[in-house]
Amino acid sequence: MAKWGMVIDLEKCTGCQACSTACQMENNRLPGENYQDVLYYTEGKQPTPSLKWFPRPCMHCENPSCMHVCPTKATFKTEDGVVLIDWNKCIGCKYCMIACPYGVRFYTDEKPLIEPNIKEVFKAEGGMQWSPPYKGPQQDNSHGVGIQPHGVVSKCTFCYHKISKAPPETADLSNDDPALREFVPACVRTCAPTARYFGDLDNPDSQVNRLISDKHGARLLEHTGNKPQVYYLSGGVVPGFTRPDKS
Amino acid sequence: MNIEFLKKAITRRRFLQATGATGVAVGAVVGTGGVSLSALVPLSESHAQETGADGETKVNKSICGQCPARCGIDIYTTNGRVHAIYGSNDHPIANGKGCPKMHLGTYILYDPDRFKGPMKRTNPKKGRDEDPQFVPISWDEAYQTVADRLNALRDKGESHKFGLFFGRGWGASDVGVNIVPFGQLYGSPNAPIGHSSMCSDGSILAKQCTDGNASYSSYDYHHANYLLMFGANFLEAFRPYNNNLQVWGYIRGEKTPKTHVTYVDVHMNATASAADRALLVKPGTDGALALAIAHVILTEGLWDRPFVGDFMNGENQFKTGVVLDEVSFSEKWVKGLIQWWNTELKDRTPQWAETVCTIPADLIVKTAREFGSTRPAIALFERGAHNHSNGVLNGMAIHSLNALVGSLFAEGGLAYQMGPAYGPAPANPDDYMDDYAKNGPHKNMPRIDLKGHEDGYLMAKNMFQEVGKNHNAGNPYKLDTAMFYMTNPAFSSPDARAWEEALKTMFVIDTSPFPGETAMMADLILPDTTYLERYQDAPTYPFQGFPMAQIRTPAIKPLYDVRTFGDSLIEIGKRIKGPTSEYFTKLESVENILRHLARGFEESPGDNGVKDYESWKAKGVWFKKPYHWRQVRGEFFEWDGKGWNKPMDAAAVKEKLLKTDSGKFEFLSSYMEHKKDWILAKTGRSPEKYNIPHWEEPQYTGGGDLHFISPKTAMHAEGRSANLPHAIALHQPAVGGNKQALAEVHPSVAKAKGIKNGDRIKIRSALGEIIAIAKVTELTRPDTIVLPFEHGHWAHGRWAKGRGTHVNTVIAQQSDRISGMANYYTGKVSVEKA
Amino acid sequence: MSNSSQAINSPESISRISALRLVVGVIGLLIGLFATMGLLTTGHAAFNTSSNLVWGLPVAAYVFFVLTSTGLTFVAALAMVFGMKDFYPIAKRCIWAAVATLAIGFISLGLEIGNPLRMLWVIPTNMAVTSPMWWMGLFYLTYAVLLVWKFLLVNKGDWSSSQSKVIGIASFVAVIFAHATLGSVFGMMAMRPFWFGGMMPVYFLVTAALSGLAFIMLFINLDYGIDQKNMSAGTRHAMSKQLPTIFAIVLGLVIVFTLARTAAGLWTNVAEFKVPMQATVTSLWFHYELWVGMVLPFLMMLSARRSEAKVQVIAGALVISALFIGRYEYVIGGQLVPMFKGAWFDDLIVYTPSMTEIGVVVLAVSLGILLYAFGDKKLNLSDAPTSD
Repeated sequence: MAKWGMVIDLEKCTGCQACSTACQMENNRLPGENYQDVLYYTEGKQPTPSLKWFPRPCMHCENPSCMHVCPTKATFKTEDGVVLIDWNKCIGCKYCMIACPYGVRFYTDEKPLIEPNIKEVFKAEGGMQWSPPYKGPQQDNSHGVGIQPHGVVSKCTFCYHKISKAPPETADLSNDDPALREFVPACVRTCAPTARYFGDLDNPDSQVNRLISDKHGARLLEHTGNKPQVYYLSGGVVPGFTRPDKS
Repeated sequence: MNIEFLKKAITRRRFLQATGATGVAVGAVVGTGGVSLSALVPLSESHAQETGADGETKVNKSICGQCPARCGIDIYTTNGRVHAIYGSNDHPIANGKGCPKMHLGTYILYDPDRFKGPMKRTNPKKGRDEDPQFVPISWDEAYQTVADRLNALRDKGESHKFGLFFGRGWGASDVGVNIVPFGQLYGSPNAPIGHSSMCSDGSILAKQCTDGNASYSSYDYHHANYLLMFGANFLEAFRPYNNNLQVWGYIRGEKTPKTHVTYVDVHMNATASAADRALLVKPGTDGALALAIAHVILTEGLWDRPFVGDFMNGENQFKTGVVLDEVSFSEKWVKGLIQWWNTELKDRTPQWAETVCTIPADLIVKTAREFGSTRPAIALFERGAHNHSNGVLNGMAIHSLNALVGSLFAEGGLAYQMGPAYGPAPANPDDYMDDYAKNGPHKNMPRIDLKGHEDGYLMAKNMFQEVGKNHNAGNPYKLDTAMFYMTNPAFSSPDARAWEEALKTMFVIDTSPFPGETAMMADLILPDTTYLERYQDAPTYPFQGFPMAQIRTPAIKPLYDVRTFGDSLIEIGKRIKGPTSEYFTKLESVENILRHLARGFEESPGDNGVKDYESWKAKGVWFKKPYHWRQVRGEFFEWDGKGWNKPMDAAAVKEKLLKTDSGKFEFLSSYMEHKKDWILAKTGRSPEKYNIPHWEEPQYTGGGDLHFISPKTAMHAEGRSANLPHAIALHQPAVGGNKQALAEVHPSVAKAKGIKNGDRIKIRSALGEIIAIAKVTELTRPDTIVLPFEHGHWAHGRWAKGRGTHVNTVIAQQSDRISGMANYYTGKVSVEKA
Repeated sequence: MSNSSQAINSPESISRISALRLVVGVIGLLIGLFATMGLLTTGHAAFNTSSNLVWGLPVAAYVFFVLTSTGLTFVAALAMVFGMKDFYPIAKRCIWAAVATLAIGFISLGLEIGNPLRMLWVIPTNMAVTSPMWWMGLFYLTYAVLLVWKFLLVNKGDWSSSQSKVIGIASFVAVIFAHATLGSVFGMMAMRPFWFGGMMPVYFLVTAALSGLAFIMLFINLDYGIDQKNMSAGTRHAMSKQLPTIFAIVLGLVIVFTLARTAAGLWTNVAEFKVPMQATVTSLWFHYELWVGMVLPFLMMLSARRSEAKVQVIAGALVISALFIGRYEYVIGGQLVPMFKGAWFDDLIVYTPSMTEIGVVVLAVSLGILLYAFGDKKLNLSDAPTSD
């Protein structure tokens, strides 16, 4: 079984958000529900300010605190290393959102970011949050894939509906191989500068492991011990929090 | 069953939907795929239909429509619904990748505020607060209404009073049907008028004036080792955006040696940040910086001698302030270097430039040395540099750097774009010209925008932004009827109010699928399909030079009773009296035209095996590498099928590449010399300098103390994302504008004015004021306010309407006198807390 | 059934209080129902919580009330577990109040959770033993069962059978575990430094005790018409002698805890702890909480008038308000720093409870009041064993 992981090269990343929009399209997310988000930070002063960014998917941790705190085992880790939510078990206590150090989880029974509420425009029946005409054919509540029902937490699935169909023993999933492109997570597939790589972390010959080795892959917030399966290359320092008006 | 009854019921229903677009709230009514009748079924009912579908996912090749880059896309459709769009793997621009806009396509298709069918206005009063009271009509009535008006005008000898205006990127040929013959056969100089003067004519004119090519450039980024970019926001807005991003990943992460990048802009953005060096200049002063770089390149002897030439004695005699003898230098492929030096460059030191553009002299010297000593190097520029009164001069100065380092037509340099090997159209318009078309009164009429007219903009390609003003003044005359395709001047033109007023006093036909501002002023709505529902062709936007032609095929049948503009134009053409009708009958349909164009591929099959219409549709693109010409160390060669082996003589270079009078790159522009008197009279420039790249203070408008810059963000999607909540929520990631764009205000300004983060501020110019939300940030210069262009719609759909404010409200209508380029970035404003 | 010698004739002041309680309960119920109607139409979109700040006022209220329940059980345990006989006269009242406050907490939480009914089968069937919340649920459920059981026994007059004693001890133990796991629900969250700490269960323990004591100071006195003359001798003795002293000691401890925690927060460089703490101390609420809600009652308890019913009512009320503010600051404060939100949310998250959230709490509280009122009317809460 693979242990899927992602590598993001920040030197190649252009901060364009194609990963975010591809994810939203593929997974039918709501406006602002950025499973995959690109985060910008500003430091320094004119004429030499520094603008940094990094893309932030779910880290699909080896040791996921979100899973440990879940009182119903709705959040679980698949055999191939992906952290998912079983929407049939989720009670919506949101403890996982508290426990995730990376802010990757969403509870969209909330006020809409953009008015008018798109959920009202594309109304759904049967307990689902909305029903956009462009929704994808995949719907798998037990893996947290598709349109989410009311009262449950949602998060990035590494496009589980795609990667779970990849041929066994695949080392890396890349758009460059036409035979594999349908199994590549949307964010990786569309990434124009090829800043994202996706592969088997348990396979020492995979390209993701090669990159982690060659370019000193680092993980966010190592001190939490969550051990993300998403590695960053060429940087990745997230500035500490300061209030913008009180520097 | 009583069909008539059914039709009426459906018409009434559609009427409700149509008026819904004007602001009356209606429920979610979005159709499924299929014919127009089923398109009117509400969503919940369409679900029921879906269950019976086969569930198979169909992928078709098409091209994106959100910017002119024309990326090949794979559209995923299951059960008649489009649910995913990815870049095509085998498309040279897309290469399987996407920009952030590409994936928005599904939302555009299913925009709930789309027009559902043709309509006519019943409220004669026009204005922002007037409900047009559109009522549905049949397509036949719609076409006949237009044709009757046009025929009546022609009968009166006033056919010039019809204008056909088209917008961004798709050019006159690739709207599915060449629209130029319509005006030619019908007889109007105003059909068509493109929007290029509001787009990027500044660079086109700068290139035409220097190397004789009135075009955007193609770039060989993959082989360049240095990129010097002026206001062409490579990672947010410059085209072809998707490919630029791919290029970036390659040149910065994979290529050895890594390509060095210096980026010039007025605020810190993604490109500036990702570059090796960001030079944050004062707005409108890019030319001064470029001149100083040229000065250093010359004084330090870094110019490319094989291309430029050298001093007779082989010694560098360029010394700051020293006038040289013209005959001391032997020019190779350039003209007027010494005149340029003597009249301008000799005094344009980095120290001088620092006083103009605020960039420290030592950084200018460093940049110049790097640029001058790293080959191949490209200097590129776009709107940031040329959206000013001195825009063409800035552009010429920057483009001249390419000549100095010999990158024109070189590997790793820049060139121009070849056209595709299309077959002939189904009919030749020249065969259908009647006497009126050839000799009618329209022949003596100037264009409404006074393009090419001494009183207007003699050298401009178009003057779209002047139309409203000219019409209102009746100078040269008033239009009677105007049709709009993919353009919304009542919103996007500088001083859009003038256009808005003009639209009140003409018969307006809008063809947008969306209820934009121009549509709200329209008398007739002929709604177009979106790009996922249509056939269309598109020769490539300038890319890597080799010829390429994409084809768009519909993923699904139109959701509503809407028709592709190209087909509508043909239908109207068929109803015009005389041979025009025969011509358009011969064209038949867009698809028929495409079949004819594809015949050209039979003789010239593409690299991917595309050789006819069917294979073109299957692959989505025809292309044939490589670009045929190359300059190597000052010698030009042509492709002979195996390599660039065929040497070109000076005449061939002049004919095919350097299309100036001299057949060389002209620092001393012959193109401008031909218009010398007019230029001197209209610009007040000196007879010594008017046709060489030189520094001129930009004319700032608006009267405030802060520059006002309204850039595009990556999510702007060239105007097509205004009503997409998903795009709005990602609009301005650098400063967090996710409900509306935020105004970047420097902390020093904020402190002086008592402005805090999130405060509402007034941005005021001589034209008026707008309200914005402040983001206090170090990203912008202390002398500059940045507020991206996107919001401020008073129509255009439920999410667009009333969101934020419109930057153009405070930007004066001023244009570069040479290029006619609208000066969007030249405004000055004052701010205060609202 | 019960020993009537402890029954007090209801003077006018008491019936006035009990009528007032009913009126407040009913009005609160109506207001609560009205304000929570948004839940029916828009679900949790009627809350001002979001994916950035997920636990709002209803969770803070839950924490406050279940810990109050804990504290009340502690006080009851003084008599029933530790044999402090002076506390027998208020023990039954404490147990019933513990039931009522627990109910308030559970209602508040139940209306906050996305799929509360689903808990009934997914929690027992999945045995998520790594989750502090699972243990919290287990212990609170055990506690709730034992508490009600104990009350039923006491209500039957069975104060001290071996079964009754065992149940009493068991419920006391259960509540210690329950509150400890509640403390762990927050205290184990290393990614939320504002909450994190191994001593958090102890902090919860002490504040729980204080909140139980404060409730007694306020409500027992109210129940007796703010007049200790209405009390039995035993009750009067407990209320005027032991309780103020215990109350003062626990209050003093909580003040120390609060100051220590505040100082650590302001001193540290860990932004997720420091910045919310800075925001907390620059708010007037904090200063009310500290000076008016804790230091002032502490001084009142040091004074000779600490045994007076009026003083106790005021001190109890002030401490309750302070503790509520403290719970709110704690629950919200741990979420104020946005987690990996970049420029989208670059300042502290702004949160004010919506009318619906306030309504949820009002609804829960008024149901608790009515439950308590029912007990007060029908269950002879002033009962106490006679023989011992």
